[in-house]
Amino acid sequence: MKRRTVLAGGAGLALAGLAGQRPARAADPMSGRLSIWLGYGETAPAYQQALPAFKQMYPNIQVEILSFDLHEYEAKLSVAVPTGNGPDILTLHDYVFPHYYDNDSLDDVPADLAKVVNDPKIIDPVFRDVCSREGKPWGVPWWKGSRALFYNLDHFKEAGLSGPPKTMAELWDYAEKLTRKNADGSISRAGITLRLTEGSGGLQKFDDMYYVMTGHQILEAGPKPGQVRITLKDKGNIDAAVQLLLDYVAHLHGPKKVDDWALKHDTQGFANGVASMLMREDWAVAFIRKNGPDIHFGTAPVPRAKAWGNFNLVEILSVSKISKMKKPAWDLIRLLQEQKYLDTVLQESGWVPLRMDRDFSAFLGKNPEYKAFLEPIPGYQAYLEPPNIAYVEATTRTGDVILAAYRDASLLNNPAGAKAVISKAYDTAANILKRSGIFAP
Amino acid sequence: MSGAIATPPLPLSARLAKSWATLKRNHIGFVICALGPVLLLFGLIRLYPIAETFRLSFYDYHITRRSSPFVGLGNYAYLFEDSPFHDALINTICFAAFAVVGTLLLALAAAVLLRSIEKAAPVLEMLFYIPVVTPWVPASVIWKWIFDPTYGALNYALSFFGIPRLGWLQDPVLILFALVVVSIWKMVGYFIVIFGVGLRAIPEELLEAADLDGATAWQKLRGIVLPLLRPIILFSVVTCTIININVFAPVYVLTASSQGAPAYDFKVLVGEIYSNGFVYYHMGYAGAQCVVLLLFVMSLLFVQFLAFREK
Repeated sequence: MKRRTVLAGGAGLALAGLAGQRPARAADPMSGRLSIWLGYGETAPAYQQALPAFKQMYPNIQVEILSFDLHEYEAKLSVAVPTGNGPDILTLHDYVFPHYYDNDSLDDVPADLAKVVNDPKIIDPVFRDVCSREGKPWGVPWWKGSRALFYNLDHFKEAGLSGPPKTMAELWDYAEKLTRKNADGSISRAGITLRLTEGSGGLQKFDDMYYVMTGHQILEAGPKPGQVRITLKDKGNIDAAVQLLLDYVAHLHGPKKVDDWALKHDTQGFANGVASMLMREDWAVAFIRKNGPDIHFGTAPVPRAKAWGNFNLVEILSVSKISKMKKPAWDLIRLLQEQKYLDTVLQESGWVPLRMDRDFSAFLGKNPEYKAFLEPIPGYQAYLEPPNIAYVEATTRTGDVILAAYRDASLLNNPAGAKAVISKAYDTAANILKRSGIFAP
Repeated sequence: MSGAIATPPLPLSARLAKSWATLKRNHIGFVICALGPVLLLFGLIRLYPIAETFRLSFYDYHITRRSSPFVGLGNYAYLFEDSPFHDALINTICFAAFAVVGTLLLALAAAVLLRSIEKAAPVLEMLFYIPVVTPWVPASVIWKWIFDPTYGALNYALSFFGIPRLGWLQDPVLILFALVVVSIWKMVGYFIVIFGVGLRAIPEELLEAADLDGATAWQKLRGIVLPLLRPIILFSVVTCTIININVFAPVYVLTASSQGAPAYDFKVLVGEIYSNGFVYYHMGYAGAQCVVLLLFVMSLLFVQFLAFREK
């Protein structure tokens, strides 16, 4: 009897539990949970700041913000969205955007927000195009990261250099002058910290210089949406690519050496004072300030050669097509366009909001290191990665080829060898694009 | 008018006991009842994913695409032209070979030495065991600092001997040895305990008899200890091989960096599978790599079982 009572009680509780779950699962758009996943957790404070205003609009909606390491985030998103378990708001990096567009995972952008995205006075068309198909935007570009040259003011003064290099030739020349060597010839301070590891990032930095030398990116959008063509073998470009590779090798081996693998690298190296120049995005300002408070530095546009411009990445806010919270999600995205939340993005993360109708001059006055990122520069062309489904694989594998060549001292003054490397890089990228069915000859 | 006498119904406990006896007599039924749930779970959790991975390996299954066309052996054929996969295979074999040999030799030597200091042995075994229970990620972060080229403890220590700064995690050759050292540090304590158990099981009389016969320490090790440790050595070789062939976490943490200054991209098989599956989204191809890894590990284990079988 006692056992029956317990079982009946348990069953009753279970039923009550199930019944209790029903209202939460009901398709009521004004209650429930709105989920946001971030690959760039440093932007979370802006979302948090917008929550009180959002709560006034939707008091019964709980907002869940989860931050992940970027690669982890991309992996989780790729598994969760197709199986219907992803977040409501998709924060998409430009190169992952095509996966979700192609898979029909994105909700229509409301008319008012689409109008904002399509207004060239509000959003630079370069950033609009990356998330639009046939003139229709599928998300709201929110912030960008762009590359600039960071330079150590004290090191420049010590080397008798009055300002940052303006051309590629000056860049290498200044790097040689800024390099400090030990008595045994090993480098104690890099003139410029080059990207020598990790294929995708390595290719991007090689591409920075390739762009200004040729006016082209290594991978560019093909004639049809989603297609990609490789410019490495175009007339004139192959010679520039070979020269660039020879420049890299010459500055990593031999008497002109300006950098070494056995040095602290990249932003960490710059923040620790063991590098005098660095090409990096806006976020590095906050990182250097925090990790190298004694480092006095300035930022400048990427040096020019035949062309002049810089690489940009962009984060796009979209809403999942299967979300039950579409309206609240778009309302939150609307809120995030307000000046105070954009200020928070800039202050907390260093990423630059894309709204050109907002004013960040007060911030720039207090933070002059952001000059190269915030002030528009006539003739300085912003460019983005060509949106395609094989971007990460193509850049990683192709970058592996280029980075392996940096280590090869036999390429010193060896144009034929360098040309073979560039051909191999082309073939590597071409094979991957062909395998994904997006190769444009 | 039948002469049958109605038998009174047996009590419940007697009927249960009878059913149990019948079940025990019927051996197959008993085995199914006893092992069925476990086998069912094993099938669901272990065998089904393997079978599904095997099936997917024949499809061009891209995680964010709707269509997954059948490609037959296409994914397997691509393995022959995929040079990063070849690099990963070679790296993994080299890493596992050095790590397995280094770990087991060191563990055996330490276990033998610890046997000669019985009183301190438990404390020392516990100290050696601490890295085993330390999670891979914090352990790798500590080693990352030790190997740091500019501020690392290792380069600092070596500088006293006049050895110039080395990029332990940046150099394509040095990184192999750096990873092997980390792996040995992590696992040697586990195998010291395993070998210690095996050594304690060797009858003392055998060693005393050998002493009376004037056997040297080396002769005792070769003639008595190693032959009697054969099953323990087999277990250790198999376990250590599986652990090291499947290496991923330490390589991932030691070579990655959020500040864009990662180490040399040392490719290993599981890392390649992860990249193809979750970074490039080629799930079908990653499945083919999984199948090859499975067959590779099973072949190795088969050879090891043959080599260590009782003669």
